[in-house]
Parts: sequence; C-alpha cells; structure tokens
Amino acid sequence: MSSIEATAAPPDSPGRSAAAEWLRREGRRISRPMRVAAFLTASYALALTAQAWVLSGVLVAGVFRRVAPASLWPQWTALLALALLRFGLSLGGRRTALRAAQTIAGDLRGRLSRGAEALGPCGLRAQASGDLITRLVDGVDAILAYFARYLPQIGSAVLVPCVVLACVFPVDWLSGLVLLLTAPLIPLFMVLVGRAAGRASEERHDQLRQLGAASLDALGGLATLRQLGAAERFAQRLEEENEAYRVLTMQVLRIAFLSALVLEFLAMVSIAVVAVLIGFRLLWGDLSLRHGLFVLLLAPEFYLPLRALGGLRHVRMDALAAAQALAGFDAGDVGRPTRGGRVAPRIGSEPRNDSEPRNDREPPRLRIEGVSYRHPGREHGLRDCDFSIEPRRVTALVGETGSGKSTLLQLLLAFDAPQGGRILVDDVDLSALDVVGWRDTVAWVPQQAHVFEGTVRDNLRLALPTADDVALRRVAERSGLADVLARLPKGWDTPLGERGFGLSGGELQRLAIARALLRESARVWLLDEPTAHLDAEGADRIDGLIRAAAATRTVVVVAHRLNAARRADRVVVLRDGRVIEQGPPAALARAQGAYADLLGAERA
Amino acid sequence: MIRESAPILHRLLTALHPVRRWMQGGAALALLAALAAIGLMAVSGWFIAAMAVAGATGAAINYYTPAAAIRAFAILRSGGRYAERVVTHEATLRGLSGLRAGLFRRLIPLAPARLAALRSAELFARLRSDIDAMEHFYLAVLVPATVAILSVAAAALVCFVVSPAVAGVLLLGAAGAGVVLPGWIRRRATADAVQAVGEAAELRGLLLDAFRGHAELLAWNAVDSHRARVAALACRLDAHRARAEGWEAASGAATGSFAQLTLIAVIAVALAAVRRGGWSPPLLVMLALLVLAAFEVIAPLSEALAKWPATRRSCERVFALIDTPPAFVEPDHSAPLPSRPAIVFEHACLRYADDLPWALDDVNLSLTPGARVAVVGASGAGKSSLLAALLKFQPLQKGRVLFGGRPLSELQGDVLRRHVAVIAQHTVLFNQSLLDNLLLAAPDADAECIERAIARAQLTSFVASLPQGYDTVLGDAGARVSGGEARRIAVARALLLDAPVMVLDEPTEGLDARTAQDLYAALAEAACDRTVLLITHRLGGLARLVDEVVVMAAGRVSERLGVQDYLDRERRRSA
Repeated sequence: MSSIEATAAPPDSPGRSAAAEWLRREGRRISRPMRVAAFLTASYALALTAQAWVLSGVLVAGVFRRVAPASLWPQWTALLALALLRFGLSLGGRRTALRAAQTIAGDLRGRLSRGAEALGPCGLRAQASGDLITRLVDGVDAILAYFARYLPQIGSAVLVPCVVLACVFPVDWLSGLVLLLTAPLIPLFMVLVGRAAGRASEERHDQLRQLGAASLDALGGLATLRQLGAAERFAQRLEEENEAYRVLTMQVLRIAFLSALVLEFLAMVSIAVVAVLIGFRLLWGDLSLRHGLFVLLLAPEFYLPLRALGGLRHVRMDALAAAQALAGFDAGDVGRPTRGGRVAPRIGSEPRNDSEPRNDREPPRLRIEGVSYRHPGREHGLRDCDFSIEPRRVTALVGETGSGKSTLLQLLLAFDAPQGGRILVDDVDLSALDVVGWRDTVAWVPQQAHVFEGTVRDNLRLALPTADDVALRRVAERSGLADVLARLPKGWDTPLGERGFGLSGGELQRLAIARALLRESARVWLLDEPTAHLDAEGADRIDGLIRAAAATRTVVVVAHRLNAARRADRVVVLRDGRVIEQGPPAALARAQGAYADLLGAERA
Repeated sequence: MIRESAPILHRLLTALHPVRRWMQGGAALALLAALAAIGLMAVSGWFIAAMAVAGATGAAINYYTPAAAIRAFAILRSGGRYAERVVTHEATLRGLSGLRAGLFRRLIPLAPARLAALRSAELFARLRSDIDAMEHFYLAVLVPATVAILSVAAAALVCFVVSPAVAGVLLLGAAGAGVVLPGWIRRRATADAVQAVGEAAELRGLLLDAFRGHAELLAWNAVDSHRARVAALACRLDAHRARAEGWEAASGAATGSFAQLTLIAVIAVALAAVRRGGWSPPLLVMLALLVLAAFEVIAPLSEALAKWPATRRSCERVFALIDTPPAFVEPDHSAPLPSRPAIVFEHACLRYADDLPWALDDVNLSLTPGARVAVVGASGAGKSSLLAALLKFQPLQKGRVLFGGRPLSELQGDVLRRHVAVIAQHTVLFNQSLLDNLLLAAPDADAECIERAIARAQLTSFVASLPQGYDTVLGDAGARVSGGEARRIAVARALLLDAPVMVLDEPTEGLDARTAQDLYAALAEAACDRTVLLITHRLGGLARLVDEVVVMAAGRVSERLGVQDYLDRERRRSA
C-alpha cells in the first residue's frame, strides 16, 4: 500500500523531530560524498540549461532561416556531447549517493546489532526477535533509501531550480519572476494540505496495518477456524472490515491528494502563464524567440525535481519511522543503569583478564553465596540465595514457574552478574574468571534450544567446531538423536531452521542434549528441563546419561517435573526467588515440606 | 515472455472483473491527464513560435484560441490528475477487498492439509507479499503501461499527420527508451538482484540466530564467529546491491539520454522537411516540444514493465496455491448423525508424502459413545495424525474412519467438526475481543450461555480481572493471555460448541504442576458426559479424565488397557 500511504504527510510529533535530528547527525558523517553528489547535480543542471540554450538556437534557425540540417554540425555535436555529459553526471551522482548511504547502512547494522547483543540474553528475550530483525533489516534499508534517494533528491530540488533560475533571469526577468514566486508556494501548500490530512491518514495507516494483521491472523489460524466451523463467518467479517476501511480511506485520500493537486496545478499553470507571457512579448517584439524558447524549455525542468520529491515523500516517512525505532534503541537501551543507579557490569564475549589457573580435569564445586538478582522491569528474580553445588553429584533445582530456577542457570553461565552476593567456582569468584575460559568448561541444555540455520551437523558442531563424524555419530547414538536422524530426509545434512526442516519439541530436546554431549571436555553440566517433551522411555535414557555424566562432572538440573528430581543427589526448592528447602529428595519427600507439597500437586 | 504472461494476465484481470468500470475510468483519466500535459507543451511551443513569426513579419494572428487552449490544458492536466488519483485508488481499494476475501475463501478448504505455507514463517511472509504484489498490479503496472503506450501512440498520430518520418523516429525512440534499452540493462542486473534477494533473506536468518540464539552462542563461545559470518554476508549483500542499483541508475539515465537523442533526430528530420517547404516553421517547434513531453510518460513504462515479471511470479504462486485440489471432495449432503456418535478407525493408514514413513499404519480403534480413552505414545507415534484423520483434515491412504456409523466421506467436514471440540496445546486466539474469540465457536450463544461456559471453564475471576471484561482485545496471537488462561478459553469455547466428542491434545504440556492443576477442574467439566479422546505423551494428572489407555508406537496401536493397569505398570517401571 506504499503508494497510498505515501500521499499524506504525517504530523511532526516530538518523537519524529528527535528521529529527524538523529538522521541529520548520521547524515553529517557522509557530508563529503554528499557534497560531491550535490556538485554533480549542480553540474547536471548546468548541462541541462546549456542543452536548452543550444536547442533553442537550433529551433530558431529552423524557424527563421530554413537551414540545412548538416550545416548545424557544431550544434549537433554540442547536443550529443551534452547528452553524454548528462548521462555521466546523473549516473555519477546516484552512485556517489548510494555508496555513501551504504557506508552508513553497514555501520548502522554493526552498531545496532552490537547494541542489541549488549542487552544480554535476558534482555534479548524480552524483545520480540521478529520485531528486532524487522527494525534491523527493514529499518536500515529504509534509512539507506533515505540517504541514497531522498536526500540527493532534496539536493536537486534546491540546486536545479536555483541554477535554472540563475540562467533564466538574465534572459527574461518576467518569466524568472513567475517561476521564483510559484516555486516556494509548492512546498508551502504541500505542507499545509499535508498537515490537514496527516493525522487522519496516520490513523488510517494504523487501521490498515491492523486489517493486514487481522487477515494474517486469520490465515495463520485457518485450521482452528475450520475446526470451529467459523471460517466462512471470518471471511465475511474480513470483507465488511475491508469495505468500511475503503470508505474511510477514500475520505482521507480525497483530502490528501489535494496536496498533489496544488503541486500539479501550480506547476502547470505557471508553465502556461510563462508560455502565454512569452508569446505576447514575442508578438510585440519585446523578446527574441531564442530567449523565449530557452525559457519555455527550462520551465518544466524547473518543477521536475520538486515533483519527483513529492513522489519520494514516503521514503522520508519510512526512514523517520525506522529512525524513531532505531534511534531510541541505539542510544537508550545499552548500559541502562540498574536499580541503585549503578551500571550493572555486563559480560559480553570479551575475555576478562586476571584469570585464575584452575585444574580443568576436576569438576568444580560451585557455591551460591547470598545471590540476589532482579530482571530489569520485572518482579521475579533471586533473593539472597545461599547453597552449594557439589562436584560429582546431581543437584536438582525445583519450584514453580518464575521461582528463579532458570535465572540461576543464567548467572552460572555468566550471562549477567548477580546484583548482590557472589558465585564461587572452587572458591574463586565467577566474576573474576575469564568468561570464555569458564564457558569452555560448561555444557548447557537450554529450556528451548534454538535451531540455527544450517544442517544438523552444523547445529551440533556449534558446541565443538572440530568434532568429526565419529564423535557426532557417537553422541547421536547416546542422546537418541540417531532415531530422529533416521526420519530426516537427508540425515546429517538435513537443513534446519526457519527455512529448513522443523523439529518437534522432543526432537529438539535430543538435539540439545547431543550438542551438550559433544563437548566432552565440559566439567559442568547445566540442564534446563532436559526431559520436557520426552516420553517415558526417552526421559529414562536422559536420566541414565545424567547419572553417568555425574561420575566426572558437576551437574545441575532444573526440573519442572519432579520425576527428574527424584533421582538427583540433592534437591534445592525455590519459591519466589528464595531457597526454601534443600536436601536429599527422599528425605524431603518424607519431611512434609514444600517439596512434598509439590510432589502431592503432581500426583493429584 | 508474452506467451507466458497472457494466461496469468487474463486470470488476474478476471479476478479484478467486478471493479473493471472503476479501473477503466481511472486509466482513462490518467490518459487524459497525460495527454493534457503533452498538449500543453506542444501548443505552447507552436504558440510561441507562431507569435514570434507574426511579430517579425507583422502578420495578423488569432492568439485567443491557442492561449485559451494552453490554459485549458493546464487546468485539465491538474484536475485530471486529481480525479485520476481518486478513481484509481478507489479501484485499487475496491479490488483489494474483493481479492483478499476471495483468496481467503479459496484457501479455507486447503487448510491445514494443503497449506504448508501456514507452518513456515518465510512461506507465509512470501504469501503475504505475493498478495501485496497482486494488489499493486493495477496502480503500479497496468495504469502506467496503458497510459504510456496510448499516449505515445496518440503523440505519434499527431506527428504522423505532419510528417510520417517524425512519427517513425518518435516510435523508434519510445520503443528504445521504454522497452528495449531498460530491458537489456535489467537483464544484466538480474543476476545481481536475485543474489541480493537471497542474501537479504539469509541475513534475516542469521540475525534471527544472533538474537534468538544469543544465549547459546555465548554459552558455546561462538559469538565472534557468528558475528564474522553476519559481517561477511552483509558485505556480499551490499556489493550485489550496489551493482544492481548501479545498473538501475544506468537504466534511468539512459532513458533520459535516449529522449535527448530522439529529440535531436526528430529536429533533424523536421528541419529537412521545413527546408523542403513542406510545412510552416512553427510546427517544427511544436513537434520538438511534443516529443520532449511524450518522453515524460515513457519513463514510468520501463518501471511498470520491470515490475511485471515479479508480479507474474507472485500471481503464479498464488494461483498455483488456490488451484491445489483440496484434500477432500465434500459430499453435497451430509448424512444425519446420532446425538451420541461412536468413532471407529478401520485399518487406517496415513502418510504425509510418498517418501515418508507411515504416520498411521493399519490402526484399528473403536470408541463407543461416552468412552473416555487416552492415546499415549512418544512424539512421532502417530497421535496427532489420529486426530487429523478424525477431523477430516488429512485423507487416509487406506482404510477408513466411521463417525456415528457413517464413513467420513459421507459427512461434510464442517458438519463433522461441529460434533468434535478440540482443546489443544497451542490454543489459537485471534486478535479480537475475548467475546469474539468465544463466539467463534457458537455465534448465536446468548449472555447466559457464555457466563455459564466461563464459570465452568474456571475463568470467572480471569474475566473479572480484565480491564474491559469481555471486550478486552486479546492481543497479537493472544499475546496478553498466559498459557493456562488460553487453554481455559479453549475449554470455554469447547463448552459453547457443546459437541458430543471432546478431543484433548496435550492439554497440560508446558504448564507447571500448579497451573496444570487449575486446568484439570476445567477439563473435567468439559469432559463431563462426553466421549473423550485424550492425546498425550505422558498421562500424569490427566489419568482421572479417562477410563482406558491406548498405547501407540510407530503409527500402530500396540495395546489397549484399563487406566489403573496402565498406571500400576508405569509406577512399577519407574520405581
């Protein structure tokens, strides 16, 4: 619907002016190539006027002197040369602007994606990733179009009329005056009429988006609609809504098109006025035909860039909308201060210095010491947690959704630092360890594994890029992924991800476990609900793996279902971010405490 | 290209047939405005030259008519352009609502068996942009192409009256600048453009991985290598785009150069004619300006023609989709059903493609009216296929399903499904009010019915907590509702449907024990006095809802036993 959206200018809200400022700042960084582009545009305008001058000479010669075409060879040569020059200048201008815009776009892409990653895994989860991608890819593209097309067009909308005017005035001041007076009226009227329609049109635009979303919604849920026998009713509803939208939209468009009418009217009428004025002065002998023709040839060129600018207004609107979304993201959200005004130390992929030498063979003892953590803007978190995770043992974390189990795993992975207390790895503070080195010793099975674009093999090798096929086959056998592979059309080479083969929850789980197994050197296992989505047999297999792994590792298992916890060496029960109970599962089951309650709830 | 395009074009125009009057009107107005612009320049040129000649020779001249014509053309141009915009947009919007609804209706019988697009985000996005391209066909392709061709023809006709040679030069130049040259340049650019499109999609995927998989990239220390991959891809994308855009720019600039060359040629030919004394000199100026103005409408022609191949591909995809034969041919009349139907699967065999293993492999299963049966098994055992076959969403390759003693082929799908309520793991909620979402199942339900269903689904306090009660909009894909609440809304929907058969498809998956417990009461209400088919990979607390358990593995029913026996055995196994 871009052509429809493009017709009405939006009101300049404060957010928009900030976005416009941000765009201006970005633009300053390419001021040099933009100046080159402007120079090329001005030269283009000069070539254009020169061409009009030569052309009018040829025409005058034809009208009054009945010359032989061949005798005009210097003029023909000049015209051809000027045409060639215009071609080169126009091409050069566009290329220069595009290259400059691409510099900005590439830089923005990098800056914004680093900005997004700086939110950390927890912060990123809070963002809708589809929205982020749209902002990054489409938003940056919109900004690219702004710098590559809109900004140069502004340049020619200013420069070309100026050059034309400067050449017309000495030849015919009266026509020059007509052009000079009408030109500023065009943007002025466009703004005035545009403003009137702007607000209403923005609402329409929202409504259109909702309508688009509604029909998408309906398509996405078509099976459900059929199941409920509501598909035909939904189709009727869509039809009615579209019809109502059409009526409202046309009301707005009729006003919005007025701005185009004004533009067109001023351009056309002033060309007509210029033509008629020239005609009469020619009759009275006040003007030479050559000058008159020269002005008439230039008159449409005078308005052309302004009219083209009107056609590109949606480029500016899109860029402003994108800048609004991106500018806030670029500046505000990175390194946001936490509750005490203190900036939380964020741990990215950058290695920390002063790493402690540790014995990599032995699984470490982990100690959670008075750890508190709160997700920005959310209630849940950890409050003053205190417990130990012994090596060569399986420790299960249990509790309801939101009790802080997964948060604890994320702190153990050093995705973020606790806001209070500390985590000790063999008596060394985790925050003093080299993050990369620490993560190298950890294997993690997340609650919902992400499937990366690439083959099954690529997805596994993420954990160990050097793994060979023998190692891959071994872990596939142990995790149960081999059964999944047997079903996949191309086995190990089956493409996965958004554009590849879809995996069910249970299959995904097996892939995540195989990935963890592949990193054999890991001394610490952090498993977030490893048996979810698995049937009894699959869950048994994973339990066996966990027991076997615990012989040489430190294992932490987050368990929704207590079945998984029952076979742990130790259970830690969390509620609302606090440790409320811990001990061996059998003892806790007898103790009639929180764990026993949870057990009761599950059996019921 | 023309041979491939004709049937698609015909079909697209047929689809837009209801708005043809608007479309024709819009195109006519666009043509009028374009001709007025050409006329304005041509008459102005002639007028100036004639006035100059009259001024120089002292001859009398009627200047009223041309001066009035110039003003008339100016007004006609601006007014015509306004009317054109209003009418073409009216046509587009009218066509659009018809097209969307029509397409939606055509897609209904294809869901879900034949609509793979609904499962993949990318295919879905493509479908959306395909429909978009169809909607823009009229404004972006048809109108500019028609206007360009007809107004050049008109301009050539005027030239022809004066000098056939000039008309020939104009037509040659127009064809070169509007069709041949941009076509030739675009063919050079195609390879780069296609690569850029593929790379842009790939970039999206990699960025999605970078964000959604950020935690895992961190955990596996793979952030930097992934970032390098993204940077390399972005670099390639930019290079391909720059090349494609470069060609694009060349095409635009070359069209302009072609216009200038044509103008030079026209003037040269005309000069020769004037010299031979064929016609009056002011006509020379008129033709020159006529040609110059005619080229203004040719530039949009090349853009319109450039858009056509993409539009055609979009149309082909959409037409191919709606031409897909539905999975079932529905009977004209639906056989009558008993109020308490039995369900029987007889040697049911189902697979999704010829090279895939059987999802259902000779399944025999019968549910007497009022039976309460759980089907358990690992993922991939065929549980969901059982449901798809029962709902007449997927056809069987062999065997049959009897519902109320009737084979499904004798029942219309819609009638059948009115007898089966489904509560699934993923409840699809639409971005409408809670009330609208409830009424989907039973549009005629009155307030009392709804209140009762809400109460039985344990939703009364949830509704009370909503800011606008029943009128609260549930958000994009039900985003403002928790998993447990969504499922209870599904229960309420099922209760409103009041179907004799209730299917529960993994109703507690992904819920923690306490939330699941809240749901049990609602489910028990829903299951009350109905035939219950519970599909789950783990029975757990759902055991109370059923009397019997059917175990499935690899598409086959491996055993059927009482729920207590099953639970005892499981307990022994896990102990």
